[in-house]
Amino acid sequence: MNLEWSGQERITASKEKVWSFINDPASIASCLPDVRQTNVLDAHTFDATVGVAVGPVRGSFKFKIALEPRPDGNHMDMKINGGGLGSVIDLLAAADLTAEGDAATILNWKGTASMRGPIATVGGRVLDTQALRVISTTFENVRNRLSGNPPSQ
Amino acid sequence: MTQSIGVSMKRKEDPRFIRGRGRYLDDIKLPGMLYLALVHSPYPHARIKSIDKSKAMAVPGVKAVITGEDLDAAKLEWLPTFHGYDKQMVLAFGKTLYQYQEVAGVIATSREVAHDAVELVEVEYEPLDPVVDPYQAKEDTIILRDDREPKTNHIYHWEVGDKTATATALDTSAVRIKERIISPRCHPAPLEPCGIVADMNKATGRLTLYMTSRAPHVHRTAFSLVTGIPEDKIHVISPDVGGGFGNKVPVYPGYVVATVASVIIGVPVKWVETRTENLTTTGFARDYHMDVEIGATKEGKVTALRVSTVADHGAFDAAADPRKYPAGMFGIVTGSYDFPAAFAEVDAYFTNKPPGGIAYRCSFRVTEASFAIERGMDLLARKLEMDPVELRRQNFIKKEQFPYSSPLGFTYDSGDYAATMRKALDIIGYEALRKEQAEKRKRGELMGIGISTFTETVGAGPGKQFDILGIKMFDSAEIRIHPTGSGIVRAGTRHQGQGHETTWAQIVGEELGLDPQELLVEEGDTDTAPYGLGTYASRSTPVAGGALALAARRIREKAKKIAAHLLEVAEDDVEWKDYKFGVKGIPDKSVTMKEVAFAAYTNPPPDTEPGLETSYYYDPPNLTFPYGTYIAVVDVDADTGAVKVRRFLAVDDCGTVINPMIVEGQIHGGLAEGFAIAFMQEIKYDEDGNNLNTNFTEYLIPTALETPAWETDRTVTPSPHHPIGAKGVGESPNVGSPQAFVNAVMDALAPLGVTHIDMPLTREKVWRAIRNAS
Repeated sequence: MNLEWSGQERITASKEKVWSFINDPASIASCLPDVRQTNVLDAHTFDATVGVAVGPVRGSFKFKIALEPRPDGNHMDMKINGGGLGSVIDLLAAADLTAEGDAATILNWKGTASMRGPIATVGGRVLDTQALRVISTTFENVRNRLSGNPPSQ
Repeated sequence: MTQSIGVSMKRKEDPRFIRGRGRYLDDIKLPGMLYLALVHSPYPHARIKSIDKSKAMAVPGVKAVITGEDLDAAKLEWLPTFHGYDKQMVLAFGKTLYQYQEVAGVIATSREVAHDAVELVEVEYEPLDPVVDPYQAKEDTIILRDDREPKTNHIYHWEVGDKTATATALDTSAVRIKERIISPRCHPAPLEPCGIVADMNKATGRLTLYMTSRAPHVHRTAFSLVTGIPEDKIHVISPDVGGGFGNKVPVYPGYVVATVASVIIGVPVKWVETRTENLTTTGFARDYHMDVEIGATKEGKVTALRVSTVADHGAFDAAADPRKYPAGMFGIVTGSYDFPAAFAEVDAYFTNKPPGGIAYRCSFRVTEASFAIERGMDLLARKLEMDPVELRRQNFIKKEQFPYSSPLGFTYDSGDYAATMRKALDIIGYEALRKEQAEKRKRGELMGIGISTFTETVGAGPGKQFDILGIKMFDSAEIRIHPTGSGIVRAGTRHQGQGHETTWAQIVGEELGLDPQELLVEEGDTDTAPYGLGTYASRSTPVAGGALALAARRIREKAKKIAAHLLEVAEDDVEWKDYKFGVKGIPDKSVTMKEVAFAAYTNPPPDTEPGLETSYYYDPPNLTFPYGTYIAVVDVDADTGAVKVRRFLAVDDCGTVINPMIVEGQIHGGLAEGFAIAFMQEIKYDEDGNNLNTNFTEYLIPTALETPAWETDRTVTPSPHHPIGAKGVGESPNVGSPQAFVNAVMDALAPLGVTHIDMPLTREKVWRAIRNAS
């Protein structure tokens, strides 16, 4: 089961500030919704335990998240691999930054996921919207944190 | 004493089931028992790089974690398949070959601890590209089975019939149809999943296996062959079984791992499947992709049938087919029709799906064959612009042609297809329905009438043709009559809803003039029951039913000697009449079987062995051929694609009927399953090999809300070779009904030009077909 999503956030902060934020595993970890535990491993990788409730699949999933920034300072790939309860999720999230003057940044994001196991059974019925919620909430939280707004979740 | 056979006697087993006093596998709790839970692969195809047990082993209560490597070290990693042409992994070893394949087993002090610890077994996989489609498997670009030579996904080619004559007849036929007809992958999904309690007693050296088994003796032999434990040291007990439909015949990894654990640890180990495990790993049904071609004259006389099938067997060739029949009884594909020429071939392939293939009330691929021919005949009728009833009538094997030698090698025992169809047409009011349909079509309403005049073959089977693990497919009965005229009847079969405790007593009661209520029927315990091949493929009545009748007749022979002694006449002067022994020519002089039984223990003739008991191992001379006419009447909502089954009539002919109420119940159950297969059920995989139907929210079971009201009736054409003329009925409704539903929906959509939709006919599929046609 392969799913794809994309979206855009406008952040009232400079591109440098946004870049610095999304390069920091602890900052990104704090933006994931339903996080139960995070453990930063090094400058670019961290583990996260996330609460999942998708149809009959309910419990915690463990993910290993690796940040792969491009040297140009405009593009970040995030590889998220993990799972739980017999399911496996491989997620690739990518963020592209474009400066809008000095004080604002447009963050375009794309996500693709491949899922295996019981979570794939839930399929198009609820998984698509649930996964979209997780990924879009993450980027909303990035926006809110940097724009000084309260987090979405 | 009066008649027992043909009586709608209430089921003797029901009081305990109705009161919740049945004893199923999961009711068994033994002191010190441990529990097994299995780790499953999320990948359909992956290399196993490592398995780390340490975190699971650290959980309090976990006693062991077993992997494929551990089993390989003990030479227990591979199981032979029933027909012996392949082997299957117990736990994934080196590679996983289907999603949810068993990778490791956790043994713990409670079920909860075992399942929690399963989450902590860390398996590192290297995912490989999966092969989900048998046509993709055919390309051999990805080879699934590294362990086999030659390196191909092709398992076997099987063919039957005259290829050249069939090709010539098809080429010269005035009218031809060709359609790819798919019998999709579905699952029997019995209410009770599979399970085992393995209990190795190290003091006695005896291994007791409580199993949801429908073939306890075969399972005992299989366990002995695999483990090397002598057969006398293995005791298989099959407690009450909550449905099977073909699902409880194979040997599953959970059985083996629980047994290995019990043998090593020396305490009982229980494994009971979850619903998801049952749907994702145990014996599936169908997955036959059939190219059906029929030739005919312009007048509608069939000339030839050719069916070429691609079969998806999953990761192992583990279908429990008899050894000489890799494609089961698919040769029944000529059905009820007299084809001058026919040819059928099956090519089976490995894919990254679970193994199995012959489950779900199908009698070894008869369901697929019957679906192919009955859909094919409807397509031919459409092409000829003929009434499908008339086409069938013209081509039926005639009553006087029996015993009938089919072009694909079967000898049909008996039948009067035209009479059975006539009865069904009269009951349903066929002419009036066609008139109503014509009226509705004028108004643009979609009404359909679908007919299926199927013939199946059951009762495997004659030992010269059929064996499993080399063991001939006979069955057996043992009867012991007590001094007071009650008795115990044991058989090598194992019922799981068929009502043997009642019908076996009725057969013996009829033959011996005893009250079936006083004949206790016992099955499923290998220490006490005679060796038998078990209950599946509608074989119990055709095979064990014969053994029971013949064992009873052996009892009667001995009883006759005792009766002569009691009546003080020569044995030749004694006759069995009106359920008692009389004296020829002296109407008022007689003794009952009860009196004879008492004498057998208290006053046997001087030269006669005391007691009244015997056994019989019955090897049937032929299969039996039940048949029927099923008619479905449907209304299709053109706006939503919803199909309303307005009426459904099943007129069955299963030969002699032992208990009409039980037969009717069997037919109701099978029709509900056939309805589900036609409209609701499919085990689907996405392109990555994910099983999309792993629970009952995704794999649908019809409830009273969806299930149509059934109308049933029968004709009776006894089997000439069966001791009581019975043919078996358990599978007929599932074999015969899906095509009646599909034919009805296709008939409803005929004005739109829709000719075929593959099952299941979901609302979406029907709606799309209507929309695309409009």
